[in-house]
Amino acid sequence: MNSLLTSAVAGLSAGGAYAILGVCVVFTYRLVSVVKFTATALGAIGAFVMVIMTEMGYPLLPSVLVGILVGALASTAVGLITTIWFSGSSQSIKAAVTAALLVCIIAMGQRLTGGQQPRAFPDIVGGAGIQLAGVTITAASLVAIGFAVFLTVAAEQVLNRTRMGLQLRALSERPMAAELLGIPVRRLAIGVWAASGAMTSIALMLVAPLRSPDFGSLSLLVVPAFAAALIGSFKSFRAALVGGILIGVIEGLASVFVGLNQYRAAVPFLVILVVLLWSQRGAQWDEAR
Amino acid sequence: MKRDSSFAALKTAALIFIAGALCLFLLSSYWIFLITAVFIIGVALQSLGLVVGRAGMISLCQMSFAGVGAWVVGYLNVIDFPGGLPVWLLIGGLAALPFGIAIGLPALRLRGINLAIVTLGFAVAFGVVLGTITYPGQTTFTMVARPSGLESDQGYFIFVLAIYGIIAVALEFITRSRLGASWLAIRHSERAAASLGVSVPKAKLSAFAISAFIAGISGGLLAGYMGTLLADNFSMMQSLVLFAVAIMVGAQFPLGAILGGVLVALFPELLRRLSLPQDLGSVFFGVGAVQALSTGETISEAFGRLGRKILPRRIRTQKRASEASLPAARVLDGDKAVLEMRDVTVRYGNVVALNRASLVVPQGTVVGLIGPNGAGKSTFVDAITGFLLSYEGKILFQGKEIDALSATQRARAGLRRTWQTTRMAPELTVGEYIRLASGGGLSDEEVDAILVWLDCPPSEQLISSVDAGARRLLDVAGAVAARPPVILLDEPAAGQSYAEAVMLGKRIAEIPERFGSSVLLIEHDMDLVRSACSQVTVLDFGAVLAAGATQEVLDMPSVKKAYMGIDFDEEAAQ
Amino acid sequence: MKKLSKTIRLGSAIGLGLLATAGTALASGPTCENGPIQLGAVSTVTGPVDFSAAPKATAAFFEQLNASGGINGCMVEFEIADDRGDPLIATQAARNLVDNKKVVAMVGSASLLDCGVNAGFYQRSNVLDVAGLAVDPVCYTAPSVSGVAPGPYLLSTAMLYFASEKLDAKRVCAFNYVIGGWREAMEGAMSDWEAITGKKLHILDMTLPVQGDLTPYLIRARDAGCDAVFTNQVEPGIVQLINTADAQGITGIDWVFLASGYTEGVASALAKTKQPIYVGTEWEPYTLRNEANKGWLDMVTKAELSPSAFSQGGYLAARIITDVIAGIDGPVTRDAVSSALRTMEPVSYPIAAGPYLFGKGAMDGAMRAVKVVELKAGAWNVVTPEWLELPEAH
Repeated sequence: MNSLLTSAVAGLSAGGAYAILGVCVVFTYRLVSVVKFTATALGAIGAFVMVIMTEMGYPLLPSVLVGILVGALASTAVGLITTIWFSGSSQSIKAAVTAALLVCIIAMGQRLTGGQQPRAFPDIVGGAGIQLAGVTITAASLVAIGFAVFLTVAAEQVLNRTRMGLQLRALSERPMAAELLGIPVRRLAIGVWAASGAMTSIALMLVAPLRSPDFGSLSLLVVPAFAAALIGSFKSFRAALVGGILIGVIEGLASVFVGLNQYRAAVPFLVILVVLLWSQRGAQWDEAR
Repeated sequence: MKRDSSFAALKTAALIFIAGALCLFLLSSYWIFLITAVFIIGVALQSLGLVVGRAGMISLCQMSFAGVGAWVVGYLNVIDFPGGLPVWLLIGGLAALPFGIAIGLPALRLRGINLAIVTLGFAVAFGVVLGTITYPGQTTFTMVARPSGLESDQGYFIFVLAIYGIIAVALEFITRSRLGASWLAIRHSERAAASLGVSVPKAKLSAFAISAFIAGISGGLLAGYMGTLLADNFSMMQSLVLFAVAIMVGAQFPLGAILGGVLVALFPELLRRLSLPQDLGSVFFGVGAVQALSTGETISEAFGRLGRKILPRRIRTQKRASEASLPAARVLDGDKAVLEMRDVTVRYGNVVALNRASLVVPQGTVVGLIGPNGAGKSTFVDAITGFLLSYEGKILFQGKEIDALSATQRARAGLRRTWQTTRMAPELTVGEYIRLASGGGLSDEEVDAILVWLDCPPSEQLISSVDAGARRLLDVAGAVAARPPVILLDEPAAGQSYAEAVMLGKRIAEIPERFGSSVLLIEHDMDLVRSACSQVTVLDFGAVLAAGATQEVLDMPSVKKAYMGIDFDEEAAQ
Repeated sequence: MKKLSKTIRLGSAIGLGLLATAGTALASGPTCENGPIQLGAVSTVTGPVDFSAAPKATAAFFEQLNASGGINGCMVEFEIADDRGDPLIATQAARNLVDNKKVVAMVGSASLLDCGVNAGFYQRSNVLDVAGLAVDPVCYTAPSVSGVAPGPYLLSTAMLYFASEKLDAKRVCAFNYVIGGWREAMEGAMSDWEAITGKKLHILDMTLPVQGDLTPYLIRARDAGCDAVFTNQVEPGIVQLINTADAQGITGIDWVFLASGYTEGVASALAKTKQPIYVGTEWEPYTLRNEANKGWLDMVTKAELSPSAFSQGGYLAARIITDVIAGIDGPVTRDAVSSALRTMEPVSYPIAAGPYLFGKGAMDGAMRAVKVVELKAGAWNVVTPEWLELPEAH
């Protein structure tokens, strides 16, 4: 029992990472209706710019800021591609575009960062964190979870309470109508892309030190991020937050059961499936009428 | 139709045969080896084209299905199962089939992005599990045996080509069948498909099952090609790339599948010739895919368009099929009410859309249902045809309660409807659509006769080139072609010219006699209602305001006031 | 290592140029009427990993060899084919080299999956592969491939042996990830160690995630009281593991890794850690500028390559194939090279742990010695100046 608690707590640090990335994915999807396969790869660009600058001897803070900026710019570039050429395209075409871009970005990222060559990711948040059930939860993990909570609350407040939020919702639900209403559609969409790029960059800087520090692995964090977002059906920030942490905890728990753990990778998948089938039980028809 | 699919199949087979013969004569063994991969990937792309291109569902785990087939073939090779590779391929495909159904099950509830991510999750999980299972025979260097007599690269090329051809030809037949048409229908609108009597779960599951079967075969072919395999062959990234390529080239077309195969299998060779690093392939792929996708049509469609420009498609002039060719009416017994609604109430949250509405459609009549916008007419139709999650009250069809039946079951039982906004698959031809809607069993003459009777476009025309007004007629023609006991027509005359509406009214009035179907007609056009309906029910604010013989009801003051917006008293005062 | 034959001293004394003239001194030697000798390597150059340091060293060796007259006057043409870590591309690349370039042998290759997908094809085409860096366990069992190092299989056993016998760890734990053919190889390595030492692993976990968080595993190792933890992780995984251990404040565990951790990248990424980190190497530690490394160091310095363990493998493979070809009488054909390799006498080089004999890799125990280096403050220090020989199992 105790070892169960311990491994569940041990899963928290991964859970924080999944939660923050999941919230970022929901953010983009809700506002610009694009499934961004490139989400974490773009964030990884920002994180690697940061680490390369610190390796070259620049101080931490400017490196972090430049990294966030570059992440935002990279995301904006992808955003421009999707908004200019694919604004009216179907979801599967948009998915295909970002999937193709993911292949492209990973290849370039691996080339520029030297394949599997590990990088010395600095802890951008120092300090030991707290002890829980014999496990240290690092300050970075705590900040990651805190940041995820902050993003969740902030995104909900902005979307539901402010005029800009209203415009953003109009943008995602009826882009044509929003344009007719005089909402600066393209500018808002680009803003969303930039913001999500910056947020994902921060998220990856926080989680990278405890992950496999190479470009490919960090880019593929998009899969658990999607899983977290999926628990909220790509709509609910809170569900994505809770879902991300839950997936981390489940991964931690699965490592205890020796018989199960060979198939551990399938466990989050099954959990997501069950959650989804339950939450979507009312959805009998597609949206087309 | 049969002739069409046979012709297309023959054409595909002939093209593949010629291409294969040319390759064998002209190319060196090395190039034959490379091109074999084109067709193996082509098989995988065809499987993806079926799910994505035809049924419109996103699958990001196609290579996982292939992996199942590949591993099974490897195992059968190691135990030296009798029959050799052809039999192993079949078993491998069959082994992948349950996986396809398992992935198809969530697809019944999940769509779009959610389904995409579930399949992605499966691809990741499966990749990890597969990675832990060493490919059978790898540690003992037992290569997967190619079919006897075809062990050489040339021989295996012929084998792969034959399999590709068999699958391409089989797909030509399947996609032109009712099943294939139902895939296109659910892709466009599940509701519309269900209203044609298409079982949406069956269509989705069959698409995934057949697709997984074909993908499994492609995995087995790859096993014979490379001799031994690694989990990397079937990783999530491979599935993602395959998906992007499938969307780019239009993998549902035989030409698209081959083009995609060329892109995947031969691009590395180009880079080798130019002495460039292979990761440039990934970069070019990303840029090229974005460019190709941004044109808005798949590469095969672009080629097809060019081809038609050079060789315009001949459209057979429609034979003026006579009314004598119309299919016979189904005989219905008795003169009891075919459709009856008793006190049906529908709520959307706090809003009461229908309030204890009742209605009877007697055998062999056309009943009108009228009412101002928002009166609940469409909700009425939805309730009858089973498209609402729940309602109170009872609906009787041919004297039996049907409240427990799904929309598809009601449509199959003979309760058919049309839609205000038509959602026909634009990829179908007019004739294919009528056949899908009729439930099968019509001859070419009968189809033509129905089309002529309703003044519809000829049967070879693609629905994508049919205008909105004509599509409404087609929708009616489809319902009529099924000759069901009851047809519900939801504003068929909207968007029609006056003359067309008059003609349509005449035809609708003829439906009971010619086809044995009773009609419930929802319309705004009063002339149409007057000319077609013997009885009328008026709906206002979700409740039945009046019902009875057409002229009597339309003359009621309360109806005039509610429906026409004319205050009877004011009118009288003038 | 007393057994090191005279060839070692001879080999390191004569330079590359001498080697070439030594060939011509013989009455007959290798001839090449049909143009230069074709050699090739399928390697992962781009994609998830970059192993090109090995074949690039091979290429540099041949370049310098050609400049000093080639093998008995025969020039060597060497082509590196990139496989991007993709099995299909690796298959095509091997076909291209064998069918189109007509290579007589593969040499210096370093790929994630070349052995796995191509070993059977090499066997069928009678092309032998003197791999520079054999990653895949298949490389050590395939009859057509023979790496120039003991390989991860034997190295795993040796590192466990080092942990239990040299570091005196009472509770040795192993956490491995399994991809491709690793399962059988790692299980074999673990049971070999148990057979040699008569001890049992305290924890054996074969389910380390390739991608994923390692915290739960380290907590498990700590709570189980492991004294030494062995894993078959590669570079980024090692960095992740140590970072996670530091984040959890774990102390008192010796971390024992395979040769893939012995790189500058790992050293600089883990410069700050206080964890005791031991990595096994299959050749003379590349950070040493000693006599054993001299021939290789001279070559990389001249070619302006950065020294690494990978390039040692590429260099060694090139030397071996050159010596084997130099011993051929008559035309250098594929069959001649293959049969020369198959019938060769063991050759020893000071840079390697033991004698090399084609087809006698780790499985048969030709090379059964390794050296161990320790990471201290961002620099690698040798902890076993003498080769650590792995005893035969009882």
